[in-house]
Amino acid sequence: MTPAPDTQSLITFNSVSRFYGEVLGVNRVSLSIPPGITSLVGPNGAGKTTLMNLMTGLIRPTQGEMSVLGVPPDHPERLCRLVGYCAQFDAFPKGLTGFQFIYSYLLLHGLGDAECRQRTLAALEKLNMTEAANRPVGAYSKGMRQRIKLAQAIAHDPQVLVLDEPLNGLDPMARAETIALFREWGAAGRHVIVSSHILHEVDRISDQVILLSHGYVVAEGQIQGVRSEVKEQPMQILVRCDKPSDLAARLFQQNHVVEAKIQGDGRNLLLRTADADAFYLLLNRVILETGLDVESVAPADDDVNSVYQYLIGYEGGSV
Amino acid sequence: MAVYKKTYRPYTGEMTASWSRLFVIPRYAFEDLHRSRFLTVFFLASFIYPLVCAIIIYVQHNVSALNLINAQGAQRLISINVTFFMTLLGWQSMMGLFMASFIGPGQISPDLSNNALSLYLSRPFSRLEYVLGKMTVLVILLSLMTWVPGLLLFGLESYLEGWSWATSHARIAAGLFFGGWVWIILLSLLALALSAWVKWKPAAGALMFGVFFVAAAFGAVINGVQRTHWGHLFNISYLVGSVWVWLFEGNNATTNGAVFFRAPQGEEIPLWCSWGGLIGLGLICSYMLARKIRGMEVVR
Repeated sequence: MTPAPDTQSLITFNSVSRFYGEVLGVNRVSLSIPPGITSLVGPNGAGKTTLMNLMTGLIRPTQGEMSVLGVPPDHPERLCRLVGYCAQFDAFPKGLTGFQFIYSYLLLHGLGDAECRQRTLAALEKLNMTEAANRPVGAYSKGMRQRIKLAQAIAHDPQVLVLDEPLNGLDPMARAETIALFREWGAAGRHVIVSSHILHEVDRISDQVILLSHGYVVAEGQIQGVRSEVKEQPMQILVRCDKPSDLAARLFQQNHVVEAKIQGDGRNLLLRTADADAFYLLLNRVILETGLDVESVAPADDDVNSVYQYLIGYEGGSV
Repeated sequence: MAVYKKTYRPYTGEMTASWSRLFVIPRYAFEDLHRSRFLTVFFLASFIYPLVCAIIIYVQHNVSALNLINAQGAQRLISINVTFFMTLLGWQSMMGLFMASFIGPGQISPDLSNNALSLYLSRPFSRLEYVLGKMTVLVILLSLMTWVPGLLLFGLESYLEGWSWATSHARIAAGLFFGGWVWIILLSLLALALSAWVKWKPAAGALMFGVFFVAAAFGAVINGVQRTHWGHLFNISYLVGSVWVWLFEGNNATTNGAVFFRAPQGEEIPLWCSWGGLIGLGLICSYMLARKIRGMEVVR
């Protein structure tokens, strides 16, 4: 039996609400976020940035309780040491070079001069920014700014990384490198909280997702688990076999099969079923009875994009 | 669910004192100011008057120098007294107003327009520390322009006149120090508050003067229309002047304030009202800062 995770290793929200006057930020959010890469997904105004600001201690909950690795937000000194934050917007004090930018914020953490210099150089190197270190941040390209923001977020070696739209503006190469870094940080036992509009990349990198809409958590967990909970939407399964039409004929006799389409080169059968378990049992039976030659069977809609469309759709605006 | 092994080690070394982190903010601000030739020249020019005062004090105590310039009676013309030092503070404070209106607007507004506040405040660095850090830039510059030269000149006079003069005129030193600080705190709070609310720097700089001169004109109109003296409550230089008079001379005032900071005789309002007016202005500025200095700007 797996022991229950203690709050010292979790980011927890217990019925947390945050209002800006009469405007809702998030409402009655209850979450336990374990180490690894967690993606926040939702349309604009869903509450992703509010949730991130709560984790970084920039704002406090209006109601409810929360803690980051056991540290509540009323201990900002301890909380801020645990968290590294990469804001969504370009956030640079005027006139600083890349080195000064990271170095000065490390000083705010209370590290000594030599330690700050060493960590600044290490962070710059990690994000391949060493060569541009002495140029003013204002002269950086969009991608370089994004990387220098990430560098300042990791420079003090935080246990929790909160990264608001960190892949925005990065070219494909830089994006791949950055995703590799997220994986590395996640694998080291850090909490990497990422919000992103790029759903297929969220799919690739996330250990779990949190779907938000209108300030509420719509779903959370591993995406396959979330998809299986969305029972009102029939599951899409793609079967590649030698006799898809025979299989389709057998499937149409079942009540749970909503739709079956033969696609592509005539060997692909895309079906929609309200009961995936019953389908898999039936498929086994068909194989045994008819000798159907099956190349592959794979769910076709257990990705973030599909789950997003099912749960949030277009009502929440664009992602 | 993936199983992760915790392999990193957070920093466990020694930390710097939290008060010292305030100075991270002025660290690069002075570099930035130094790059402006105009500000550098203006800052240096602000020492001309204290230099002239130093020469006057020196010449006053040097008979041979007086003989050299054929001005043996000059000692009687210029007295090194409370008026001398209050005038120095008045001049320097007016220079400070110009300096604050040049550099004050650039303190907070760039951080707000660049959304940089979240960077500061997601560190172990509070809103108060942020404001104090920003104030430090102004406080250091304005101190160098006001009470620091004032006390140096007081020291020079004490040295040349004898330490008994220093002890008998200790109130002047206290007036220079505390009077300077009253002005510096007020000016810094006002400059930062305007910087936080007015993003366009020239407008924020102009508003600095506006607050002083327009409010004074408004106060004069009230005085004229209502036939009262309470309009002086809107006149910041009057309020500062009357507080200075008390700081320099106590309850036995022989002057009515410094140049630019006069409280006209016969038009006095109670001293506690002057203090109250200044404290009220400080509180308004603090409230304006508290509304704007937040980790994230709330857009309604």
